[in-house]
Amino acid sequence: MRILIIIFIFFSYYFPINANEIFNLIKIPNLEVLNLGSKNKIKYLSSKKNFAIGITKNITCDKASENNLKKKYEIIKKNLDIYNYKFLNKNNIKFVVLCENLFISGIGTAGIPDKQKRTLILDINFNPKYFERVIHHEVFHMIYDSNPNLFDENVWRDFNDKSFQYAGCSICSDSIGLDEYKETDGFITEYSKTIPSEDMAEIYSFIIKKENILTKLSEEDEKLKKKINFIKNSINKIDSQIF
Amino acid sequence: MIKKIKASRSEKILLLFLILLGIFSFGFFYSIKNKCLFVDDVNLENQNFIDKENIILMEVECGLVVIRLIPETSPNSVKRFKLLTEKGLYNNSAFYKVIDNTLIQAGDIEYGNIENIDYVKVGSGKSSLGNLKSEIDEDFKFTEGSVAMARGDDFDTEDSEFFIILKDIPIYNGEYTPIGKVILGLDALKKIKKGNKSNYVLRPDYIKSLKLID
Repeated sequence: MRILIIIFIFFSYYFPINANEIFNLIKIPNLEVLNLGSKNKIKYLSSKKNFAIGITKNITCDKASENNLKKKYEIIKKNLDIYNYKFLNKNNIKFVVLCENLFISGIGTAGIPDKQKRTLILDINFNPKYFERVIHHEVFHMIYDSNPNLFDENVWRDFNDKSFQYAGCSICSDSIGLDEYKETDGFITEYSKTIPSEDMAEIYSFIIKKENILTKLSEEDEKLKKKINFIKNSINKIDSQIF
Repeated sequence: MIKKIKASRSEKILLLFLILLGIFSFGFFYSIKNKCLFVDDVNLENQNFIDKENIILMEVECGLVVIRLIPETSPNSVKRFKLLTEKGLYNNSAFYKVIDNTLIQAGDIEYGNIENIDYVKVGSGKSSLGNLKSEIDEDFKFTEGSVAMARGDDFDTEDSEFFIILKDIPIYNGEYTPIGKVILGLDALKKIKKGNKSNYVLRPDYIKSLKLID
């Protein structure tokens, strides 16, 4: 163990990260402040250079271009402004990092929630068709991570047919379609079938962004209806004013 | 027979110029080595502190620093800070973490004492008094000279370490427990030795002494 620590110190001395006050706070290098004055006290940051984080530097994201940043920041802020400070605080959402081309171990992703650092990293290059909904999908992951007792996966699994099995991994499955099914049968998108927490996040994001479509699709889908009620009831336990 | 050649006037001027250049270079080398050269001394005689029980004197290599504690904002943290100060446990504590022109951090009383600093463990030491609950004040502005308790990734992990910021850092508002502000001698802190390639410092500067004024 001691040898590992010495090796770590050796590397930190000889392969330094460009540390600044933001790195000191959330351990992501090369960031700059975008806006600290939002009403719900979210602190928006952006990448001024590419960065790589994680023990094996497996999470990477690129510098955000100025025009794209300006455009997407407005969209992100508009979407996150629906949440009040108390709700965000309960769910450990404090810092939102905007960057381009976010990857985990070489696999592209729309966002990465980090409950411990109270940080949500968002890829502003993500497919514009789903971009706004995906913001809330990622918010749900922060909610889920902060309140695991409210989102019992065993209860959730019981909403599905007994024969159904999730893919078991959200980033190793080919089922990543984000368009809503015409015939749902308990699942709103293909991506919902990867793991229970992604299923929940998809339902949540539809409740926030496409509730009319979701309601219509659930009219003849009891499983979907149960899932929607489960999410709404759980969120109401955190903050009764969100829905 | 060897003929003596007299130096021309221009050669004499050149020689004089080289001698003067040598003297200046030599003098400059020693001036620059003295990093405290342009730091003004803090004169306490002209100061009239009303709340002496909250005034801390910190002596560092380049002079004296005066900190006013703010117990009205963070009573428990200030109480802890005073207790450790009165016991003399911050004396010789290394500024082991320095972010250039941004912040300096000290106060690891277990592994960060300059006399037996443990480079492997510094930053993870405990005071044996237990963790403190964070005392966050959303209205406190982290301006230049603010002093705050350091913590781990999570809140409520403050113990003995503290940091002082050398510039305004508004992103820290609401993130750390503020315990005071430097009211005199900030320039001496700006001269604290920084790391060569990292924000962790080898053979760091340290607090010579930390005490209450009264």
